[in-house]
Amino acid sequence: MSSETSRARKVYIRGKEAEPGVYRAQDEVTLLRASLEGDVEAWGEIIARYKDAVFGLCLGFLRNRADAEDLTHDAFVRAYVNLRRYRLDKRFSTWLFTIASNLCRNRLRYRRYHPVISPPDQMEGGGDPGRAVAKEERIARIRETLDRLPQGYRAPLVLRYYNDLSYKEIAEVLSLQEGTVKTRIHRGKLMLKDELEKHGVTQA
Amino acid sequence: MRVDDLDRTIRETLQHEVAAESYCLEGLEDRIATEVAGRLPRRGLFDRLRGLLAPTRGARAGQLAVIGATAAVFLFVGWFIADRTSLLSPGGPGPALAAAAGADQVLFVMPAPGAHSVAVVGSFNDWEPTPLSDKNNDGIWRAQLSLPPGRYEYAFVVDGRWWGQDPLADEYVRSFGEYNSVRYVGQVGGGA
Repeated sequence: MSSETSRARKVYIRGKEAEPGVYRAQDEVTLLRASLEGDVEAWGEIIARYKDAVFGLCLGFLRNRADAEDLTHDAFVRAYVNLRRYRLDKRFSTWLFTIASNLCRNRLRYRRYHPVISPPDQMEGGGDPGRAVAKEERIARIRETLDRLPQGYRAPLVLRYYNDLSYKEIAEVLSLQEGTVKTRIHRGKLMLKDELEKHGVTQA
Repeated sequence: MRVDDLDRTIRETLQHEVAAESYCLEGLEDRIATEVAGRLPRRGLFDRLRGLLAPTRGARAGQLAVIGATAAVFLFVGWFIADRTSLLSPGGPGPALAAAAGADQVLFVMPAPGAHSVAVVGSFNDWEPTPLSDKNNDGIWRAQLSLPPGRYEYAFVVDGRWWGQDPLADEYVRSFGEYNSVRYVGQVGGGA
């Protein structure tokens, strides 16, 4: 395996000289192997592929841009440092999301004992005005409700609807039973639905 | 609102949020690359040691847990059997025999404020009520009986209602759909 790895690395180095975009064409495992050898550009390509997903996860969990940005950064550094612990029998994304999700949960725990003075509502004005009003309204409501939803319900919803994970994968990332994940997603959705209906937002 | 609509709205909301904020991810690759440049993912001796130690430690903890649990089960079973045998042993007398050997004073207490009558029935009185009294009107009814060593099932009867779970009982049993309390009196468990 080590000879294979070094061969993969050599390919990179040659490819890089020939064509800067070569990383983009590589498959994930090759990139990971190269990263293991210390090829930070390969790791950069991994980041490019997953940064939106990880950032979305963190933003969904933490509801605060600055924290999400911070933890996205930390998650990729931590994943790189611990890359050797990643086992190929799992999807890389699931492993990466587990790291990010644990970081988020630590941060939330920290926040509970060190509350922020201003409420994390800087995301309110993030929408662009060109959208239809009804849609804006719906999205704003969902957003507000997500802010208020307990973390235990919000996290599975984010992993399900933003990261498109299966129930099984969500269970793995959050160290929960699959049944619990299903229940929480169901209940979380009910809460969102109630909130929308309470405000008379029913049109899709 | 239909379910798929809700699904779609949640998805859109989350994507919308990310889209609005993801400008901060510009150049993240480069920032991290600079940070980790020259660092290799942790490897070699440290990792191998970790790998060696972690499962062993885990396995050891697991073994300890199993041994502990087994020991606990054996202790419990042993204690239980010792209890039974001492009860059944010829030296551990039935009530009639034991009367001579000396009886213990056993206090039955039942909190029942406002009750008109409280009695205790049990295997020691052939399930015929022995009344409890509340002399100082504090709602706690008491009776002191002198019982030879043995195992007794009993229950309280409060204003005609069965009250089978005495908090001071040693254990509970269920018979005829009702709970009864059980007390061990005397040298039970201590050997004859």
